[in-house]
Amino acid sequence: MSKYITLLKLSWQNGLVYRTSVIMWRFRQFLKTLMSLTVWTVIFASNANAFNYTQDSMITYIFLVSFLQSMIIASALNGLAHRVYSGEISNHLIKPINIYAYFAVEEIADKAKNVGFLLVEVLILFLIFKPTIILPSMFIFLVFLIWSLLGMILNFIISLLFGSFGFWSPDTWGPRFLFFMIINFTAGSLFPLDILPSVIQKVLYLTPFPYLSFVQIQLFLGKFNNQEVFTHSIVLLFWLGLLGSFAS
Amino acid sequence: MKKNLISVKNLSKHFKVYKKEPGLMGSFKSLFVRKYETVKAVNDVSFEINEGEIIGFIGQNGAGKTTTLKMLSGLLYPTKGEVSVLGFNPWDRKQEFQKQFALIMGQKNQLWWDLPALESFMLNKAIYEIPDKQFEDTLEKLSTLLDVKDILKIQVRKLSLGQRMKCELIAALLHNPKVLFLDEPTIGLDVVMQKTLRDFIKEYNKEFGATIILTSHYMDDVKELCERVIIIDHGTKVYDGLLDKIIKKYARNKTLTLSFDEKISKADLNEYGTIKSFDENQVTLLVKRSEATKIASKILNKFKVNDLNIEEAPIEAIIREIFSIQNK
Repeated sequence: MSKYITLLKLSWQNGLVYRTSVIMWRFRQFLKTLMSLTVWTVIFASNANAFNYTQDSMITYIFLVSFLQSMIIASALNGLAHRVYSGEISNHLIKPINIYAYFAVEEIADKAKNVGFLLVEVLILFLIFKPTIILPSMFIFLVFLIWSLLGMILNFIISLLFGSFGFWSPDTWGPRFLFFMIINFTAGSLFPLDILPSVIQKVLYLTPFPYLSFVQIQLFLGKFNNQEVFTHSIVLLFWLGLLGSFAS
Repeated sequence: MKKNLISVKNLSKHFKVYKKEPGLMGSFKSLFVRKYETVKAVNDVSFEINEGEIIGFIGQNGAGKTTTLKMLSGLLYPTKGEVSVLGFNPWDRKQEFQKQFALIMGQKNQLWWDLPALESFMLNKAIYEIPDKQFEDTLEKLSTLLDVKDILKIQVRKLSLGQRMKCELIAALLHNPKVLFLDEPTIGLDVVMQKTLRDFIKEYNKEFGATIILTSHYMDDVKELCERVIIIDHGTKVYDGLLDKIIKKYARNKTLTLSFDEKISKADLNEYGTIKSFDENQVTLLVKRSEATKIASKILNKFKVNDLNIEEAPIEAIIREIFSIQNK
């Protein structure tokens, strides 16, 4: 266990080396949330309801997107394909350590670091916007936490699969960039997916991407009945099983 | 009798390589149809290595040296063949095996670039489960031997190539591996640093009895460290034996360096061998190895020689000769 704790500490140290880069990166994240909140606040200034969202539910949506972006979508494995192709991964493979556990610890370190910064940023945004956040029941909140955890694992597996491109090609930024765009759109990071026509929503639900943020937020906002909670749980587990078997 | 630690039988590794047609049309075509070719990176190689040996693994670029080391480390699966290292099949990637060997690649870093080397050492301590006392003792010994005590807390990216390589060596040796695969450990280093690393490797082998396979393009590394060499060319083993014996087996010529008391002409010496250099009183002649003594004696009888030196051909030249024979 001590090897993973040491790795965790080292990953944090490594992530904090470049001060300007850290500040710029966090400022970018902060600005993104600030802009979303500003735009939607302006929209709701003249409308009580937009796209079936009240101002409170939309503000809650934006805060949750920000949180889940850091917890689920952000990944330390974005450069995995390069590490594979360059042979850097050899250094890990010859050591007495489980390579998946190694990557998982890197992910945990990255996400923990994100959340640490996020808490400060959210506090500032709260002071600026003084929002009313919609809170779910304890049961739904627990399911939300479990789905968020499963979403993290799902994104971890998808990142591993993308990383494996490095075994065949050095040029992995093409598919990776496309993936970023798809994720941002289909996970509901840019806007809620339920403002789209139902046909597009149905198509998107055939992919694993809404399970990387959108369904978790919908659950939190109380938009699912018990039957839907059950169905989405099964689908989430299905994607984990299917993609997990590919990865293994 | 020394124990056999590494056994390689009929090892082969074939890769499928994409061959692109030249020009812009070739690039467009390759979007739809691609031609592949099978390259035999390692082809039917067999050898055995005993405990404590330092083996020089020699070959030109692309000969298959690194591929072989990667297979011995369990990084690559072979196309065919069997390998046993320390009694383990490397591809099982068992932790008991991984704790007993190290692979150092001169062109790949294991140290965390933005952190001091000491942090990477601490991580390796945890990964290899090295007891505190052993870690402290080994680190003290290795950092003293390599004279890097004062740089362990400096970011790796701020170190010179030589300092980095020394720290890479320490990181790889902290767990006292019994088997060491060194792939071009001195590449890019200046001659002083090359010598330091060579001395260190020799010392490590002596003190820990480690079995070492070394690949290097610098023949000085091989000459100074290895009694036995394995020469590999286009994936095939062409020689396995003592370094000294290569000279007897492959060297066709010896070099005679002569100093004369009087001025002589080139024509006087043409009949004895090939003149490599000529300078009024100083001549270097390349003569047939088997006739070197006889020719030296003839020259001594005919000319007033004040100094004579007979030398074997340099090992680099002999190895070049071996490769040129193989490629004919």
